[in-house]
Amino acid sequence: MGLPDSSQVLSTEMEVDAFRRIFPLRFFERHLSESLRPDARPLGKARDTIVNLGLVSTADGSALAKIGSTTMLAAIRMEVMTPSADSPDEGSIALEFHMPPICSPTVRPGRPADAAPVISKRLSDTILSSGMIDLKELCLVSGKAAWMGYLDIYCLDADGALFDAALLAAVAAFSNLQIPVVALNDNGRIVAITGGKDQDNASIIEKKAVNKEKRKLTLNNIPFSLTCILHKNYILADPTTEEETIMDTLVTVVLDSSDHMVSFYKSGGTVLASSSAIKSCVELARTRAKELKQILGEMDID
Amino acid sequence: MAAKPGAATPTYSPKLVGRSRLPVFKDSDLDWSRPDGRGFHQCRPALLQTGAVSSASGSAYAEFGNTKVIVSVFGPRESKKAMTYSDVGRLNCNVSYTTFASPTLGQGTDHKEYSSMLHKALEGVIMMETFPKTTVDVFALVLESGGSDLSVVISCASLALADAGIMMYDLITAVSVSCIGKSLMIDPVIEEEGCEDGSFMMTCMPSRYEITQLTVTGEWTTPNINEAMQLCLDACSKLGEIMRDCLKQAASPSDE
Amino acid sequence: MEVDREDGRTPNQLRPLACSRNILHRPHGSASWSQGDTKVLAAVYGPKAGTKKNENAEKACFEVIWKPKTGQIGKVEKEYEMILKRTIQSICVLTVNPNTTTSVIIQVVHDDGSLLPCAINAACAALVDAGIPMKHLAVAICCCLADNGYVVLDPNKLEEKKMTALAYLVFPNTTLSVLPEGSSVAEGEPVEHGIITSVTHGVMSVDDYFLCVENGRAATASLSAFFRKNFQQSQRDSSKAG
Repeated sequence: MGLPDSSQVLSTEMEVDAFRRIFPLRFFERHLSESLRPDARPLGKARDTIVNLGLVSTADGSALAKIGSTTMLAAIRMEVMTPSADSPDEGSIALEFHMPPICSPTVRPGRPADAAPVISKRLSDTILSSGMIDLKELCLVSGKAAWMGYLDIYCLDADGALFDAALLAAVAAFSNLQIPVVALNDNGRIVAITGGKDQDNASIIEKKAVNKEKRKLTLNNIPFSLTCILHKNYILADPTTEEETIMDTLVTVVLDSSDHMVSFYKSGGTVLASSSAIKSCVELARTRAKELKQILGEMDID
Repeated sequence: MAAKPGAATPTYSPKLVGRSRLPVFKDSDLDWSRPDGRGFHQCRPALLQTGAVSSASGSAYAEFGNTKVIVSVFGPRESKKAMTYSDVGRLNCNVSYTTFASPTLGQGTDHKEYSSMLHKALEGVIMMETFPKTTVDVFALVLESGGSDLSVVISCASLALADAGIMMYDLITAVSVSCIGKSLMIDPVIEEEGCEDGSFMMTCMPSRYEITQLTVTGEWTTPNINEAMQLCLDACSKLGEIMRDCLKQAASPSDE
Repeated sequence: MEVDREDGRTPNQLRPLACSRNILHRPHGSASWSQGDTKVLAAVYGPKAGTKKNENAEKACFEVIWKPKTGQIGKVEKEYEMILKRTIQSICVLTVNPNTTTSVIIQVVHDDGSLLPCAINAACAALVDAGIPMKHLAVAICCCLADNGYVVLDPNKLEEKKMTALAYLVFPNTTLSVLPEGSSVAEGEPVEHGIITSVTHGVMSVDDYFLCVENGRAATASLSAFFRKNFQQSQRDSSKAG
């Protein structure tokens, strides 16, 4: 119990940076009591968010999302598969979340990060259960051919709120997705058609085109997420890595565009006592969803 | 919960039909142009930027045409526990690709060969004695592969090392040249690399005019090698200027 | 109006519970926990000296190893491991045994729905059996939201598939030996009303989520009582034997 006292005494004569390293929790609590965070944000405010579309030329749809300095690059590649017998007119989505060693000092090559498969699973659960994508739209020939969308999300810079940024990048990549123009050839295989400039092409399109023009997916109920830290009576939205390591009670709320709850995720951490805390988290997520919707909306106009 | 991702369903990417693929290069004369319309001795425009990854000690992003690379430098930090004591520092390099790096579906994996080549190119220029007992990690991720990947990775890595403040004798620049038929092409794109007869890559320290690594594969005549060497040295020194400017630019706002 | 359940239970009725502890000889603590046909074995080894890399050496460290009934572990199991690890970390006193690692091994014997809550309950019982210092027990439950808006507790596998949404919830046990530092006791709500872990699947409205939480919380009282009875029983047995 001598620790708090000693920190109090030391703090008067210590440099700020040293104090931050030695008593990280005190450092943060000092800020929180002023309703501010070390990066000058108010408690409930998320960091600046940027979304860029179509950066990867080799993919059918791609997006880069940046929340503060957390950066995610998502790319979708479409391939053809034979749909399974129980759902002959549905395509499918395979999602993978990668944390390459460049993104954080804790990830080393050859030893994948523990968090990567967990985030991967949560993302695919969220995206598939939100009903954002109608898998029937990915059907080409019922029972014979359907699209398989390979969605790869790379974390380029990890600075907290990884799930939020990854979900945003994934959603933006889907909004950027252009399903290629394809036709069915005589062997029953699907082939791609370029532009249709040649006459041969034109005839193929007329005959067998399954997908006559490049089309976009319709996205219903887009999920938006916000991660919050609960610490004592404070709720901090959109934490950085530093905040996540010091205060370990994290809650992620995912709401969709029609204000339904897609996921309420909290694993461990201190007991979250009141339902009022849950309610304020949901409220923060609601405002954040509006913000993100606007950011994505601006994208669509371009 | 409906779809099972990756449930061992075989997939294929739809192949292009109806496009008569032009043979990109004819052997004989010089009257064909490069896919991106460059001259034979012209490099792609280089876009360089330091400080791409906030959590790294130093980092850089490089974009040469379609080749896009991020390099992060971590450390100097504690070596692995298994390592014995060492007076000089250690360098650990890793190059990996994203799954969507190349147009053909590849698996994003570690590239062992490039990792060791990157290590060899860098070890001569870093002052290892300045960080005894510790390790500097240089990790590269190729976001998109558009040809001359390794030379871009090496140049980008040296920029990231400079950004991290690791002591070096000089910057490192790398340029590659492809030989197709009788002609030499500097900074080849991926299509050109696909049909080259020989490849040549040089990494050098432009200010000291020293070479740290030279890789030659395939069919080369002596005059061609000489010419390629001259081309590379010239391009390296120019690239060195660009990198220097990039570093200066990154440093200037803090002076104000 | 009632929701029909195939096995004739009422919506809030749990399947029969069974728990036996100290069933394995080699581990320091072990327990088997079953809810209906879902059965999980948990074994605890430790605390052993040293922590894993990247872990805080000033605190006790936990590792969870999930063994599925058959086959290799995939992303689902990895996620379960992570959730279980975080949950255990939040209920154990981490400062008593700093710089140690405790391993919790979960073996799935049979999965008939509500697997994760069952595993959390089993792990909790095994930790008690191993004598690992804990702040309080955790009781886990699975709540399902049926199409017609009713909440169904402790579903079996068939029911899980039919539901529109489900939530795995973990609550603290009713009596606390130590009040966790920093826990917010706001608006007169007792601490045992808090949520330790919440994982949801499927889309539901915010109000439905609160309904799930409420119903789940109510049901944990009987789970808690079962826990306590079970522990007292075995204590009596062992003192008799001694």
